[in-house]
Parts: sequence; C-alpha cells; structure tokens
Amino acid sequence: MSMAYKLAHDQAGTLKEYTIRFLKRQITYEPLWAVRDVTFDVAQGEVLGIIGPNGAGKTTLMMVVAGVLPPTEGRVITRGRLSPLIALGAGFNDEMTAYENIVKYGTLLGRDPAHMHERVRPILAWAELEGYLDVPIRSLSSGMRARLSFAVATDIDPDILIVDEVLAVGDEAFRDKSMGRMQELMDGGSSVLLVSHNLDPVEELAHRVLWLHHGEVVADGDPADVIRGYRETARAGAAPRRARP
Amino acid sequence: MSTSTVDYDSDAPRRPLVTELRNVIAFRGLIRLMVMRDLTVRYKRSVLGVWWTILQPLLTSAVMWLVFSQIFGEGVSEVPFAVYLVSGVLFMTAFAQGVQSTGSAIVDSRGVLAKVRVPAEVFSFSAAVAALANFAITLIPLLAIQLIAGVGIPWTIVLVPIPALALLCAMAGIGMLVAAAAVYFYDVLNLTGVITQLIMYLTATFYPLEIVPDRFVIFVELNPMYSYLTTFRAFVYGGTFPELWQFAYMVGSALFILMLGVWAFSRAWRNLVVLL
Repeated sequence: MSMAYKLAHDQAGTLKEYTIRFLKRQITYEPLWAVRDVTFDVAQGEVLGIIGPNGAGKTTLMMVVAGVLPPTEGRVITRGRLSPLIALGAGFNDEMTAYENIVKYGTLLGRDPAHMHERVRPILAWAELEGYLDVPIRSLSSGMRARLSFAVATDIDPDILIVDEVLAVGDEAFRDKSMGRMQELMDGGSSVLLVSHNLDPVEELAHRVLWLHHGEVVADGDPADVIRGYRETARAGAAPRRARP
Repeated sequence: MSTSTVDYDSDAPRRPLVTELRNVIAFRGLIRLMVMRDLTVRYKRSVLGVWWTILQPLLTSAVMWLVFSQIFGEGVSEVPFAVYLVSGVLFMTAFAQGVQSTGSAIVDSRGVLAKVRVPAEVFSFSAAVAALANFAITLIPLLAIQLIAGVGIPWTIVLVPIPALALLCAMAGIGMLVAAAAVYFYDVLNLTGVITQLIMYLTATFYPLEIVPDRFVIFVELNPMYSYLTTFRAFVYGGTFPELWQFAYMVGSALFILMLGVWAFSRAWRNLVVLL
C-alpha cells in the first residue's frame, strides 16, 4: 500500500473568522491561514518528522491529513488505514469499561467490532492493564489511559500513523516500550508522521524532516540538516512566536 | 471493511443522501455499539438503571392523568383515558428526546470528531436509532396498561414498526436539520426543546381531537406528527387502520422530512466540522 499527500492553501482560522462574523455581523472577514501552500508526499514505510515553533500549524496540518478538517484549498489523499495518536484517550467514555472502550475506540478507527472483541486481551496485556477488563475507565489514571489508548491505536495495524507529541506522555518505561512498538510498525511498512518539539527522537527516527513556520514550509529534507538549521534559528531568537488561533 | 472507508481523498465529491447513506451502512458496527452504549450507559450510575427509561414517561403520564382525566376523560370514547394518554405521551416524549439528542449528537461528540475521521452523520443517526430503541422499551408498560385496562393487545400490534419507522425518519430528519442550523445559529439547540413541546401540544397527545373547535382541526391534522400518532394508536390498541389519506400523509411526510434534514446537513457539513 502506498500513499500520497498533496495539500496546499490550507486554512483553519475559520473558528476566529466565524466568531467575528457572528459578533460583527459580517463586517470583518479576514481568513487566518494556519497552514499555507504546504505540499508533500510520504512514501510507504517512510517516517516524516514535522517540527516548528508553537503556532506553526503542525497540529492543524495533522488534522487535515487525518481527514478531520477539510482543507480550504488543495487536496489530501491518504491510502490505507490511518491511526491518529493525536490526543490519547479522546474516544474514551468514562462510564464504560476498559473492554467496551477498547472495542469502541478500535471501531472508531475503522476496525470491525468482531475483530476488536478478539483483540481486547492482547491490547490489555500490552498496556499492562490485565486486571482492568471490567473496570470503568473513569477509575484509571491519566497515564493508564494514555497507555491503553496508545495500545489500541497501534494495534489496529495502521498503514499510516500520526504521532503528535505522544512521546512526551508516560513514564520512562512506557516511553521505551512505545518507541519499540513504533519501530515495529515502521519496520512493518507503516508510514509515520511524527510531530514533536522534542528534537532528539525526531532526529533519531525520521527519514526526512519538514520544518514549518507560520504555516509555511521553511525546509524539507535530511533530518540532521533541517534540525541543525532549526536549532540555529531558535537560538538566535529569530523565530517569532505567534499565538495559536 | 471496504477500501472506500480506509482511503481518503479530500476532493471526493459529496452527494447529498448518497454519501450519508453509504457512511451509515459502512459504520453500522459503530452505530450498533453506540446505540447499545446509549441504552446501558445513560443510567449506569443510578440504582434503577434502565428502568428509568420506562419510569420517566410513566411518571409524566401519571401527572398528566391526575390533571387532565377529569377534564378530557369523558371525551375519549373508544378506550380508557389512561391508555389514550400513555400512548400519546410515550410517542411524543420519544419524539422530543430523539430530536434533541440527534440535534446535539455532533456537538456532544466533538471530542471524537476533532481527532478521528468518522462521518458526523453517523453520530446523528445513531442518536436517532437510540431514541427509537428507548421508545421500543417503553412499549412494554403501555401493553401492560392495555391489559390491565381491559383493552387487550390487538393483532395489528405487528404493524407498529411502520409508524415507529416514520417516527425514526422524523427524529433523524428534524434532528439533522437542527444540527445543520446550529452551525449558523447555536441557539437553535436551546430552542428545540420549546418547539418540540409546542408540537406535542399540537398533536392531540393528551386531549381528544373532538374537543378541538372545527375550524382548528385542520391545523392538528396538517401536523405530520398527528398522522404518526394516530396510526400508532390505531395499531397498538385500536386494532383498526387509519384513514388512507392519513397513512399516505405519514409515509410521504416522513420521507420528505428525512430527505430535507439530510440534504440540509449535507450542505452545512463542511462548516460544521470546522466549527467544532
């Protein structure tokens, strides 16, 4: 399975735009471009790192790629099952048991409920939460939830994995374990989009790095080169910060 | 799972009705899960649990019976007033709750919709189906009351799914219309409760049509919900058939409302996700 992204002129400032329209009855109408003229392809099995300061449009870009937000301009094409590790545990319902949540989350990500029923035990085992099968999710700690969510999202055999800052979650043992899991997926041919402020793991894992600033691509290329450039700019204080929409 | 739900192309054309229907079919497993969740989770922390589904409309009916049985009781000739009242209240409560939950389903699941690519209409549709399932549960006490009141259960009970499907169409259609309108005017969600209550008063839920002055009867009969409720009553306890024009009006208006809702939803969809 292969995939191609083509994406340009992507706007996500519409929240602000609509508020303004509501308040001022359409007097002002100024689009805020969170991501602009970004074009890239990711091959099967490739790991693309995406870096940039706060408000550079990284998360918006990931939401557009994930198909959650329709692009304002341009086009996104993804091929294969996509698993977004954007905010871990987003699909969980507090009152439901771990079992029910695993099935529901997997189904949300596009698997068959029948398939998920069989995967519940392996998933719980990987997350080291075997005893929590029939326990409502609300009694799990946030770290446990993150573990469970990561376990489900990587268990559905994704062809494309979007990883947004999840490397920062959990204790050291869990981080090592999840890095191992991601490595397995990459070796198995999954494409990965890795978004992080933590430059070391990006440099280590990515085959290619995209540097975003103010929604536009500053550099796209070899991880070591791009990250060096990014570090130098950041140190020089030349990267102005902009509030997120 | 077919490849069409796995691959994604942001430029894929969206065809009103066709796209929604395809999405609902593709995500039927998820819809089943969400309906089950709605039935079981809603009252999970309460002692009586699912029994609240039954108790709530019954208590409402009890209050209405106390108030109205003296006033309208004589006017309902064909069955005991309690049967007339409970059948109406159950049907219209289901409608009101169904429209409300379908309308707000998307806002309620924005946490998921902002993270995972699941068609928003799947959430609306499963809310409507859950409301219908709740309604089906409340038929049990209605049938019990019919037995106690000596009305019995006629064979036409097997036809009840027909008005129930019309109810589903109305809940889904109006609910999606509400969801679409809420994109532009959020207040619509708050207004819905008032409007469904108004419809309930217009539907001869707890009063017999006979007490309505002749020149106003047309307004009650024009209300599509009245044709659903009349058909439902005829099947569930009357053992009779509604008049043909009423049955035709029910089928036609149900399909029209559903298509109108889905069409409006399809038009508003793009702005809807961005707003979440």
